[in-house]
Amino acid sequence: MSQLPTLILITWGLATALTLFLLFRMLLLARYRTYPLFTLYLIANLLQTVVGIYLYQSYGFTTVNGYRIGWTTQAFVVVARGFAAAEICYRILGRYKGVWALAMRILIACGAIVLISTVYFGTRNYRLAVITLDMSLEAFIATWIVGLLLFARYYAVPVEPANRMISLGLGLLSCCKLLNDLVFERHVQAYLGTWNYVSSAAFVCVLLLWNWAMREPVTHTVREPQLNPAQVYHSLIPQVNQRLLELNQQLSQFWNTESSKP
Amino acid sequence: MNSPFFFVAVVAGLGLAGLLFWALRGASQREGHEHGLGALDKAPRDLNNMPQIRQSMDPADFEFAKAKGGRYLENRLRRERRNVALLYLAAIRRDFEHSLRVARVIAVLSPEVLGSHEYERIRLAMIFRWRFQMTKARLLIGIIPQPQLLTVWQMAASIAMQMEETMAKLGERAALAAELALQSEQ
Repeated sequence: MSQLPTLILITWGLATALTLFLLFRMLLLARYRTYPLFTLYLIANLLQTVVGIYLYQSYGFTTVNGYRIGWTTQAFVVVARGFAAAEICYRILGRYKGVWALAMRILIACGAIVLISTVYFGTRNYRLAVITLDMSLEAFIATWIVGLLLFARYYAVPVEPANRMISLGLGLLSCCKLLNDLVFERHVQAYLGTWNYVSSAAFVCVLLLWNWAMREPVTHTVREPQLNPAQVYHSLIPQVNQRLLELNQQLSQFWNTESSKP
Repeated sequence: MNSPFFFVAVVAGLGLAGLLFWALRGASQREGHEHGLGALDKAPRDLNNMPQIRQSMDPADFEFAKAKGGRYLENRLRRERRNVALLYLAAIRRDFEHSLRVARVIAVLSPEVLGSHEYERIRLAMIFRWRFQMTKARLLIGIIPQPQLLTVWQMAASIAMQMEETMAKLGERAALAAELALQSEQ
C-alpha cells in the first residue's frame, strides 16, 4: 500500500467513508427497500475496497496477480452498477407499462450496439482487453441512463429527486470512466497515475451527490398512474400520425409552390 | 486502438455527458404528466382567428390602400400584416405542439405503446418543425402565402378538434367507470 501515492490513498479512504455513510443512511431511512440493487452495488464497492487492501498488501500494486484479481473485482462492481442502472430505469419508467416496454427494447438495442462496437473497435491487446471490456460496459450503462432520461423528458414523466440524483450520478460516473479508460488505453504508461486520480475523484464526487440525494426520508411518492384502455392508444395515435403526415405534405407543397405576391 | 475510433469514442463520451445534463434539465423543468393532464382541459385558442387573418391578407385590401394612399401606405400595410401573419403562424405552431403534448400524455397512460407509431410521430414532428421554419423564412423574406397558411391552419385545427372529441369520450368513459364502481360498492 505504501507504493501508492498519498493522494490516491486519501481519495480511496474518502470514497470508502462516503460509501459507508451512504449505506448507513440507506439502512437508517429504509431506502434499501426502495433501491435493493443500488444498495448491492454500494456493498460490492465496499467489498472491492476490502479485497483491494488485502491484495495490495499481500502482492503489491504492480504484480500480475494484483492486476488480475483487481480487475476481476472491478468486473463485478461494473455489472452491479449496470443492475443498479436498470433498477433506476424501472423505478422511473416502470409505472408506465407501454412506455417502459418501448423504452426497454430501444435501450437494450442501443446499449448492445454501443457495447459490441466498443468491444469490436477497442484494443485487442491481452493486457488492455479488460480495459476495453470495462469501457464497453461503461458505455452501455451511460447509454442506458441517457436514453432513460431522454424518454422521461420526451414523455414528460415525473422523476423523483432521489431517482434523478442517482441516475445523474450513475450516468456521470460512467461517462467519466469511459473517457478516462479511453485516454488510458491510448497513453497507457504516461496516464496511469492520472487515471487513478480521475477515477477516484469522479467516484468521490458522485458519492457526495448520492449522499445529498439520500439526506431525507421519502416524504411523498408519485401516485400510480391510472392507465387508459388499450384501444384508446390504438385508435387515436394512428389518426394523429396520419394528420401529421398530411400536414407535412401540405407544408411540403407550400415549400415547393411558388407563392404569388398579392 | 486506432485514431478515428479514439476520436469518435471521445466525442461520443462527451456527447453522452452533454445529453445527460440536457435531458436531466428538461426532466426537472418539465411538469409531470399529472400536471400535463391539465393541458387536456386547455382548448387551443389561437385557431379561431383565421377569418381575420385571411381578411388581413386579402389582395384587394392592398390594392385599395395603394389606390387611396399610394405605394408607401401599401408597403407599410403589407409589412405590418406580414408581421401579423408571422405571429399567427407561431400561434398555429403552439396549438400544434399542444396537440402533440396531448398525444404524448395518451401514450404515457396507455398500457401498450407501439414503437412504430411513436417513431412515426417523432419523425413527422421533426419534419413539421423543419418545414415550419422554412415557411417562416419565406414569410420573413416577404412572401405572404395565404392559401398555404389557410391549409396549415386547417390541419392544426383538425387535430385539435379530434383531440378534444377523444378527450371528451375518455371523460365520459371515466365517469361511467366511476359510477359503476360506486354502484358495485353499494
